[in-house]
Amino acid sequence: MRILGSLVVIAIVVAGLGAWIIRGPGPLDFAGGSKVALADYRAGKPTGVPARLEKASLVERGEYLAKAADCMVCHTKPGEKDYSGGLAFKLPFGTLYSTNITPDKDTGIGNYSDQDFLNAVQHGKRRDGARLYPAMPYTSYTFMTDEDVLAVKAYLFSQPAVRAKAPDNTLSFPFNQRWAMIVWSAVFNPDTRFMPDTSKSPEWNRGAYLAEALAHCGECHTPRNLGFALDNRKKFAGAITAGWRAFNISSDKATGLGNWSDQDLISYLSLGHAPGHGSASGPMGEAVDHSFSQFAPEDIRSIVAYLRSVPPQPSPDLPATTAPVAPASHRDGVTADARGKKVFASACASCHGWSGESPVSPMATLTGTWAVNDPAATNVAQIVISGTRRHTPDGALSMPAFGNAYTDDEIAAVANYVTARFGTKGSKLTAKDVAELREQTAE
Amino acid sequence: MATTLIVNGETKSFDAPPEMPLLWVLRDILGMTGTKFGCGIAQCGACTVHVDGRAVRSCVLPVSAVENRTVTTIEHVGSTPSGAKVQKAWLEAEVIQCGYCQSGQIMAAAALLAATPNPDDSDIDAAMAGNICRCGTYVRIREAIKHAANGRQS
Repeated sequence: MRILGSLVVIAIVVAGLGAWIIRGPGPLDFAGGSKVALADYRAGKPTGVPARLEKASLVERGEYLAKAADCMVCHTKPGEKDYSGGLAFKLPFGTLYSTNITPDKDTGIGNYSDQDFLNAVQHGKRRDGARLYPAMPYTSYTFMTDEDVLAVKAYLFSQPAVRAKAPDNTLSFPFNQRWAMIVWSAVFNPDTRFMPDTSKSPEWNRGAYLAEALAHCGECHTPRNLGFALDNRKKFAGAITAGWRAFNISSDKATGLGNWSDQDLISYLSLGHAPGHGSASGPMGEAVDHSFSQFAPEDIRSIVAYLRSVPPQPSPDLPATTAPVAPASHRDGVTADARGKKVFASACASCHGWSGESPVSPMATLTGTWAVNDPAATNVAQIVISGTRRHTPDGALSMPAFGNAYTDDEIAAVANYVTARFGTKGSKLTAKDVAELREQTAE
Repeated sequence: MATTLIVNGETKSFDAPPEMPLLWVLRDILGMTGTKFGCGIAQCGACTVHVDGRAVRSCVLPVSAVENRTVTTIEHVGSTPSGAKVQKAWLEAEVIQCGYCQSGQIMAAAALLAATPNPDDSDIDAAMAGNICRCGTYVRIREAIKHAANGRQS
């Protein structure tokens, strides 16, 4: 009996230790300074809305915060009404659909009390008591203050109620066992509100709140651990999410943001483009369109100050430098893939040019971009498949989607040509790789 | 909002939304209908014009992106050296069949010759692959480009 008892204790200790090791540090632990409760922080106001909205109505404040948290992109299926849900997340073990968060009483969240809403956003618990899957980034939103979460609720409840029921999830066993999320959540949800770091500037603290609690950068840019939770030992080191590569945004000089100027970062976040660094597309393009482009300029600067402080993490699979401008003539430079060159000549060269410096717009310049410098060519293939559209103060510039016009084989060929010509190390994509990328894209 | 472009050597000012494609400005506002609308997604080449001497597809190019830059269209390309050569060769080789794509073909060919005075087949492929012709005049286009380059009479 005594031996059995000891074994149970040992098993619990080992399981706990295992969970603790897998879980690793929290998203803000790298900063190392002493944390204080928000109420005791006097140096600034890291939470809430920017100064110009301080006197605005609850709904207006909620709108700013909902956009900062980028609720809409995941909770809206393309072509459907805002916040009515139904977007499909294709995971290796099935498909998950986002929910309707309009105030419709039957199919949306119209019956949610303030506490119900806090439970969902901060604790991952649905009104009926069921647990949310972590596709809903409540492990990030948990850092939001109650006040901010409830402002978002007020904004959502000011929106038109839409009757729309999301399709049922098609997750396979054991992932269809929602109850298991109780355990997952106990291990991986920090379940704590944001605590300012007194060793850092007020700007940094605001940036930390925006990036961690609201914008949830890490959900795409931080690799995941064995438990599919964020591995903050490799904070912001980059990861593949929904078939797109979210690049390294740590302060690493070679493969992260270390060589980007403040102005580059401000421009990329607020306009979706920085000269010499390319344009945001795919999920980051959506984040810019619906979220970052709506941020107050001082909030963008705060995020930049915060990003600068994240310790460097190398991306060993990426070349340490980007490639220079390619030769102006098609006949010079590498032709890694003859078929890819043909596709490039007919479909790409007129806008991107043979040198990679676009004759049309700096936004279409390929030289210097991370996408063409990625030997896995993930984002090059994705942009070819689904196209891209950038909105700027001067209008919109778009690239058509070629996914239905070219075969997987042709897309692989042109991606291999493009990465070899404009990047440091060409890709070796096959038709099968392209088919897999198509499968992973959220829709 | 007033926008200013230099089109065919003349300064043109007009009101247009900044995101309006250059093609629409040329055809609908400036009344220059020589440049054609084909696919609308930069894949057929019918709308090709020159911006600062380089061939670009005007159907996807927001007018704001070419403000104060030099635009040349089919109406004026005959007064550039390479454009004059191309038009002459085109007539001599009887390139044109239905003609819809031809203003784009001529603009692409003129930009090619301006950059590469003696193109070989691979240069012609690289420059002309994005200009599609439903009538299949490709063989005559290739011939005419070579004639224009050599200044040969047929």
